[in-house]
Amino acid sequence: MAILLLLLGLLALVLINVPIAVALGIAAVVAMVVSHGADALPNMAIDMYNGANNFPLIAIPLFILAGAIMNTSGISRRLIAFASALLGFVRGGLAMVNVGTAMFFAEISGSAVADVAAIGSVLMPAMKKRGYPGPFTAALTSSAASLAIIIPPSIPMILYAVMADSSVVQLFVAGIIPGVLGGFMMMGVSYWYAVRYNWPVEEAFNLRNLWRAFKEAALAFLLPVIILGGIFGGIVTATEGAGLAVVAAIGVASWYREMNWRQLRTAIVDGVVQTAVVMLLVASSALLGVFLTEAQVPQQLAASIASVTNNPLAVLALLNIFFLVVGLFLHSAAAIILVVPIVMPLVNSVGIDPVHFGLVVTLNLAIGQQTPPVASVLMTACSIAKENIWDVSKANLPFIGVLLAVLMLITYVPAIPLFLVKVFYG
Amino acid sequence: MLARVRSLYEKLLEAIAVVLMVGLAAEVTLGVVFRTLGHSLVWYDEVAAITLTWITFYGSALAALRGAHIGVPSLVDAMPRSARLAVTLVAEACVIGFFVLLAWVGFSVLDVLATDFLVSIPEVSVMYTQSVIPIGATLFVIAELLRLPEVVRVAAGNGDDGSKGSAS
Repeated sequence: MAILLLLLGLLALVLINVPIAVALGIAAVVAMVVSHGADALPNMAIDMYNGANNFPLIAIPLFILAGAIMNTSGISRRLIAFASALLGFVRGGLAMVNVGTAMFFAEISGSAVADVAAIGSVLMPAMKKRGYPGPFTAALTSSAASLAIIIPPSIPMILYAVMADSSVVQLFVAGIIPGVLGGFMMMGVSYWYAVRYNWPVEEAFNLRNLWRAFKEAALAFLLPVIILGGIFGGIVTATEGAGLAVVAAIGVASWYREMNWRQLRTAIVDGVVQTAVVMLLVASSALLGVFLTEAQVPQQLAASIASVTNNPLAVLALLNIFFLVVGLFLHSAAAIILVVPIVMPLVNSVGIDPVHFGLVVTLNLAIGQQTPPVASVLMTACSIAKENIWDVSKANLPFIGVLLAVLMLITYVPAIPLFLVKVFYG
Repeated sequence: MLARVRSLYEKLLEAIAVVLMVGLAAEVTLGVVFRTLGHSLVWYDEVAAITLTWITFYGSALAALRGAHIGVPSLVDAMPRSARLAVTLVAEACVIGFFVLLAWVGFSVLDVLATDFLVSIPEVSVMYTQSVIPIGATLFVIAELLRLPEVVRVAAGNGDDGSKGSAS
């Protein structure tokens, strides 16, 4: 009963637009005082401090910072030039270049919003000028950018790993095949449209041009090799790999002499704001977590669902529907922080591999980034392309379909995400 | 006048943000370099985690000033004007009340923590690292108050401030 009141209170606060992090804190403090009296209040300060004091999460600001530095250093332009030399000869060349660049970029960046801004601001005007319809352009850019959180590194995966007490590195490895698969499927859909509407080819394929574009962008390709190689090879932890990414990004930017200090300062400040927004949620959810754990809520939920079905596939189907609905209304970081700790005992009790489930959650949230009313990536794409959200959402349906198809594949064929994990970590 | 105070305050918080972020990146890099050279820094992970905590709370004040904390504005935006204004004021009161309480509680526990020390650097009291809670909460309240006139103006207008931030 107390729990029900707590959740209703939380819901009421969120619906009157109290920031979710603060709503969590208020609900938790009220619950704490009601159950333990006002003497429990000092714990509030200590629990919130400890909630944010979390070493693995340091990777979040560092990956955000690395991505920001690369955005200000002309790397996106070089990657686009290379993708154009590689894929521009295909019909609908710029659409291919868009997805291709997003896939390269995803290996450096862990944030889809950052990608859509970096790639979209260059490619969307170019696509529109070449006659691609505006809504299609924004929809493709938006969905392709969501590959950033599936292909490693990935900020939602880092959050999930901490919340579910799972391995970040294994999650990163598990994301590779589904991410690449999603990218190729998006290219396939674009090609179908391109042939149907006779969209233009960009440049004839020329090995010499490709080689020149590759040399121009070579350092940008070195980055993921260093970062992901270091992490997957066990030389550095994911957190340290994020630190390495920052240093490597500064190195590359200085080498290219394209660093703009004013932009960099803005990027750092924005990175801190983005980090703080996520971390305040983590801190205040720690407050609520203490209470929920005491009340054994996650265990009770696990027991009551397990009494209906013990079948992992059925439980995964339920959780998929649940996360898709959650993704409509919640930002991906908030969804992970709120939901994952509550469903983990259920996931563990029916024997679902936490790494497999992490990929399922990530894919669901990638879809959530595309589905209004709350759709961070789609909104960013629309605002850069100056397109109407409704038109873009309609054009986005086939690409959301691609993401859904990948979600179904990884949900019911666990070998797709877990194959590489088995190869690397047996 | 208020706009100037707000802009100065934003500059101050931004400067703190830059120092903390650059510090964190430098510290993690040093940690990796020293470990590779075979001289691990014992304080590396503890200090890095504390820096993240500071980024969280100092950065939260900056995010509050920019209205970047994640919320769900759809329902409030759809309300008629008078209801929207009333509900917005209630929400602001909840936010400010929470951080006033956190600042007060955070300040009162500092005394208790004065005799606890960091594990890797026993010369430093936990009191100093934990000071980020009362200071950060106070900065948050100031930020919220400085933004209040704008929030009220938007709520009384056509209700679309479009300033929700996002991280991923």
